[in-house]
Amino acid sequence: MNKDVLLSAEIQRRIDSMHDEKVKQNKIKLEAYGGFYNTDDHGFIYFPDFKYEPIYAEGKDETDSGVLAGKNLRKFLSQIPPYCYKDSALAGCWVGCVRRYMHIRIPKENLMPPDLEEINNKYHMRGAGIGGTNHLGPDVKIGLELGWKGIFDRLLYYKEFNAPASAEFYEAHEDTMHGIMTYIENNAKYVRKLYEEEPEGWYKDNYKTIADILDKLMVSPPETFREACQFLAIFQSVDRTYFMGGALGQLDELLRPYFERDMKKGILTEEEAVWMVASLFYNDTHYSQLGGRTPDGKKSLNSRMSFIILQAAHTLHIPYNLAIRVYEGQDDSLLDKSLEYILEKGSGPAFSLSKGIEEGYMKQGHPKELARMRAKVGCNWVALPGIEYPLQDVTRLNLAWPLVYAIDEVMEAGEPTLEKLWDRYAYHTEVMIDAIKRNYDIHLNKISDYIPELVLNLFCHGPIERGLNCASGGVDIINLNCDGIAIATVADSFAAIEQRVVKEKKLTWEELYEALKCDFEGKEDIRLMLKSIPRFGSPESLAKKWAKKISEHYVEKMVESPTPENRIKVIPGHFSHGGILAWGKNLPATPNGRKMGDAISHSSEPDPGFAKGLTSFSPTLKANAVALTQPGWGNSAPLHLDIDSDMVIKNGGIDCLKALIMTHNEMGGTLINLNCITKEQIMRAHADPESEPDLVVRVTGYSAFFASLSKEYRQQVVDRYLTNN
Amino acid sequence: MKGIIFDIQPFSVYDGPGIRTTVFFKGCNLRCRWCHNPESWLTEPQLRFYPSKCIGCGKCFNICPNGAHVMTEDGHIIDRSKCTVCEECADNCYSDALLMSGRTIDSEELFSLIMEDAPYFKNSKGGVTFSGGECMLQHDFLLEMLKKCKAANIHTAVDTAGDVPYEWFEKILPYTDLFLWDVKAADSELHKHLTGDGNETIIENLKKLTEKGANMIIRVPCVPGGNMQDMDGIIELLKDIKPEIVELLAYHKLGESKKEALGFGKTEFTVPSKAEMTALCDKFVKNGINAVYKG
Repeated sequence: MNKDVLLSAEIQRRIDSMHDEKVKQNKIKLEAYGGFYNTDDHGFIYFPDFKYEPIYAEGKDETDSGVLAGKNLRKFLSQIPPYCYKDSALAGCWVGCVRRYMHIRIPKENLMPPDLEEINNKYHMRGAGIGGTNHLGPDVKIGLELGWKGIFDRLLYYKEFNAPASAEFYEAHEDTMHGIMTYIENNAKYVRKLYEEEPEGWYKDNYKTIADILDKLMVSPPETFREACQFLAIFQSVDRTYFMGGALGQLDELLRPYFERDMKKGILTEEEAVWMVASLFYNDTHYSQLGGRTPDGKKSLNSRMSFIILQAAHTLHIPYNLAIRVYEGQDDSLLDKSLEYILEKGSGPAFSLSKGIEEGYMKQGHPKELARMRAKVGCNWVALPGIEYPLQDVTRLNLAWPLVYAIDEVMEAGEPTLEKLWDRYAYHTEVMIDAIKRNYDIHLNKISDYIPELVLNLFCHGPIERGLNCASGGVDIINLNCDGIAIATVADSFAAIEQRVVKEKKLTWEELYEALKCDFEGKEDIRLMLKSIPRFGSPESLAKKWAKKISEHYVEKMVESPTPENRIKVIPGHFSHGGILAWGKNLPATPNGRKMGDAISHSSEPDPGFAKGLTSFSPTLKANAVALTQPGWGNSAPLHLDIDSDMVIKNGGIDCLKALIMTHNEMGGTLINLNCITKEQIMRAHADPESEPDLVVRVTGYSAFFASLSKEYRQQVVDRYLTNN
Repeated sequence: MKGIIFDIQPFSVYDGPGIRTTVFFKGCNLRCRWCHNPESWLTEPQLRFYPSKCIGCGKCFNICPNGAHVMTEDGHIIDRSKCTVCEECADNCYSDALLMSGRTIDSEELFSLIMEDAPYFKNSKGGVTFSGGECMLQHDFLLEMLKKCKAANIHTAVDTAGDVPYEWFEKILPYTDLFLWDVKAADSELHKHLTGDGNETIIENLKKLTEKGANMIIRVPCVPGGNMQDMDGIIELLKDIKPEIVELLAYHKLGESKKEALGFGKTEFTVPSKAEMTALCDKFVKNGINAVYKG
C-alpha cells in the first residue's frame, strides 16, 4: 500500500512543469505585492489588468446586506479570468479574495456599546471576535454527490419549500450559484478555445478532456476521479474567493471511491492519479487531512489513495497543507512515509494528534465517535465537516496586556507584591475574556445579515434546508474559539520578577518599573538580568510553573460561562498564528526583558533560546512545555519543531521523529508542524532568498515558500533553527 | 548522594539507541588532545569566558574579590592564576559572557530531570547515557544513578574510555545495558602521547568485559594528525576482540571555542573528509569488523 508510484518521464515532466510554473508565479506575485507576503502561498494567479467595480447601495462604500454580498460575489465570480495551465489536468483559478476588491463587512456604526469599545481598544483586541469568516469545515462530499447543478437544484427546492421565509438568504445563495455556474462556463469556453487553437498532440487532447469535464460538471455530478478533482478545484477557487476559505476535508476518503472505481474499470492508472492530485494542489493549498480512523475507531483510514495524495504533494514540491492524523495503536505506514518525505525535502505534512483533540472535544459533552470525525482542515484547527461552526484561528487575546496594566496598578498603589500583581493580572484577563464573549454575541447577531457564508453553507448539513446561515443555527454545533497568546512572554515576566525582585532581591520593584517605563534605555544590564533567568521550557524553571498557572487561569475563565446573550460556549486555544510581531508592535516593554515593539512569544511555546541552564535545548524540552500548557478542550496549541535534518538522518532517523510525535500525542499535544532541513540551507536561504526559490517551510500552521516571507518572518524560522539545534 | 555534572542533553540521538538523555559527568583522567568537551576535564566547576558576548558593563571587575578580571591592551582577560572560581562573576554576568561549567547535583534531582523524557525513551526504545568526562571516576554516584534508572525500567548506557580499575566496572555491570567504549589508539605510546596515559588498562578492561558478555559499542575517534596513523593497529586489536558494532567518529572542531573560553590552548588537528572516512570504514569492514560511519 505504501509503495511509491513509479512515475513515467512524461508524468514527471508534467508535474515538474507545474512546479516550475508555480515558482515563476510566486516571483510574479512577490513583485506585484511588494516583495513578500507572510501567509500561505495559496494558489491564486496574478492578473495585473483584473479590476472589479463593486455594487454598493447608493451613497455607500460598503455592502449593507447578505443580498448585496451575493450580488457582488455573482458578479465577481463571473469576471474572474479563466485559467488553465498547459500541463495541469484541471482548469480554474482564483485571483484574490473579494475583500481585496470591495468592502464586504459588518458596518462599524453603532456596532457596539461605548464601554465595550473602550475595553477592546484598551486591551488592543484586534480581531476581537466580530466579523470572522470561513474557518469552518465544509462537507465537500455533499457537492461531490450532488454536483453543481444538484447543489443549485437543492437550493431552489428549499427556497420554494420554505417560502416566503428566508427569502434574502436564498436570494444571496442563488446569486452565488449563478456566479459559480458562470465561472465554470467561462473556464469551459476558454479551455475549448485553447483546444481549438492547439495543434494536434497531447496538449490538444488534454484541453479537450478538461473542456468536456467542465461542460459535464455544469449539468452532472462528477463520476470519474478526474472529474472529482476538477470539482474540487472549482470548489477551492470559489471558496478562496469568498473570504479565503481553506478547508477541504478528509481528502483521501473524499477521493477514494472515484479512485477505486476508475482503477477497477481500467480507465485510470496510479501515475495519472498522482498527476491529477498534483494538479489539484497546483490549483490551491486548501487544508486537508489524510489517515486517521473511522468514527467507530475500528478501522484505519489509511488507503492507497492516502499514499497517492501524499506522493503527489511531495513530487510537486510547492507549499501544501496536508495533515496526517496520528493516533495510538495506528498503522504507522502513512506516518513513516510522510517522515521519509520530510527528511528528503525538508518539510511536508503537519501531524494532527488525536488524543488531545478527541479527549478535549469529548470533555465538551460530545461522543467519542464525533470527536474522531473532527478533521484537521485549517492552519491549526480541526472541525466536524459540514455540521460544526467552530470559528477558530480568527480571535485572539494578547495576555501580555493584562500584565502591563497590572504592573502599572500595583506600582501606583504602592507596596507591590507578586500576589497583588497576579490578582490584577487575573482581573484584567477576566475583563478581556468577558469582553470577547460580548463581542462574539455581536458577531452572532450581525454576521448572518452582512457576511453569510455563501459558499460554505452550500456544503453544510442544515443551512440550505433551514434557510439559515451556518452561524445562526444553520448547523447543529456552534462553538466559538478564542486563543490566549503570549503565554511565554507573560510566564517569563512573572518568573523574572519572582527570581530577580522577590527571591534574589537583585532588583527593586521601583528599579524594575523604571527600566520598563524607559524601555530599558541605558539599562541593558537590567534587561539582560531579567532575560537571563531559566525561562519557560527549562525543566527546573519558575517560568514553567507560571506558564501552567497562566494557561489554566485563561482556560478556566473562558470555559466558565458562555456568551452572555446567545449562550454559546467559547473554547479556549493557544495559537498565535505567525503574527507575533504585529501583536508586539504597540506592546510596551515587559519584565521578561522584551523591549517595546518586539515580538511576543508564539502560541504557548517557549521563546527561542530558552534553554540556558544545566539542561541543553532539545525538541523534547519544547514539546514537554507545549504539552504542559495544552488548553485541553479539543482546540489546539501547536508545537513547531525545526530539527537539523543532518542530525536526524544520521542518527535514529524516522524512528526518532516518530517517537517524538507519538509521545507528544500521548502527552496530550494537539498539532505538530515539522521542518527538517540543515542549518546551512536555512542560513543560505535567509541571506539570499533567491538562491533557494523553491525551499518550502512550515511557518506556523501553514506552509510557504521561504523566499516569499518578509525578512522578519524568515528570521522567526531562522531563530528557531539557530537556537534549537 | 551528590555528583558533579556539566550538562544534560535530552533528545540525544548520538549516544546509543533511540531517544536518550545524555548526562555529562565532570572530571576526566585523560587529556585527549582533540577533546570536544574540555570543560569536562577538571572535577571542580570551571569558569568559561566568551569575550564576544561581553557588553562591557564592568560588573565582574567590581565584584571579583581576587582581581582576576583584568583589562589589558588586548581587552578584558581573566587572570586564571588569581581566579578561585567563586562563581560570583558568572552569577552576575547576564550577557552570558561568563558561564560556569559544572554543578553539584543530588541524585534525586538528576533522576527527576532524566525522568522528564521517560515517555520518549519508552516510545523510541531509548534511555539514558552517562558520559563525560569520564563518568566512571564518580562510580559511586554513577552506580546510584544506574540503580535508580534500572528500577524505573530505563535502558542505561555508560560512555567510557575505560581507564579505571576493573573493580569499578564489576560494580556497575549488573545495572548497565550498554557500554559505549572509546578506542583511541592501539599503540600504547601513541595513546599516552595523545591522551596522557597508556592503554594497557583500557584494553584489559575491554577484554574482560567482552568476555563477561557486556553489551558493547566500540567508538573510534578518527583524528588526522592524531590517531589516523594507528588505524591498522586499531583494526588488528578489534579483530581480536570481535565487537558487535564499531562506530567511526570523525573529528570535529566544535570543542575549540570552549577550549579558548576555558583558557586552554588551541588544537592542531584537521577534520577528515567524508571520502577519507568512508574509505577507512571500508577498510574496517574488509577486515571483518562491523564498522559504521554515519557521515
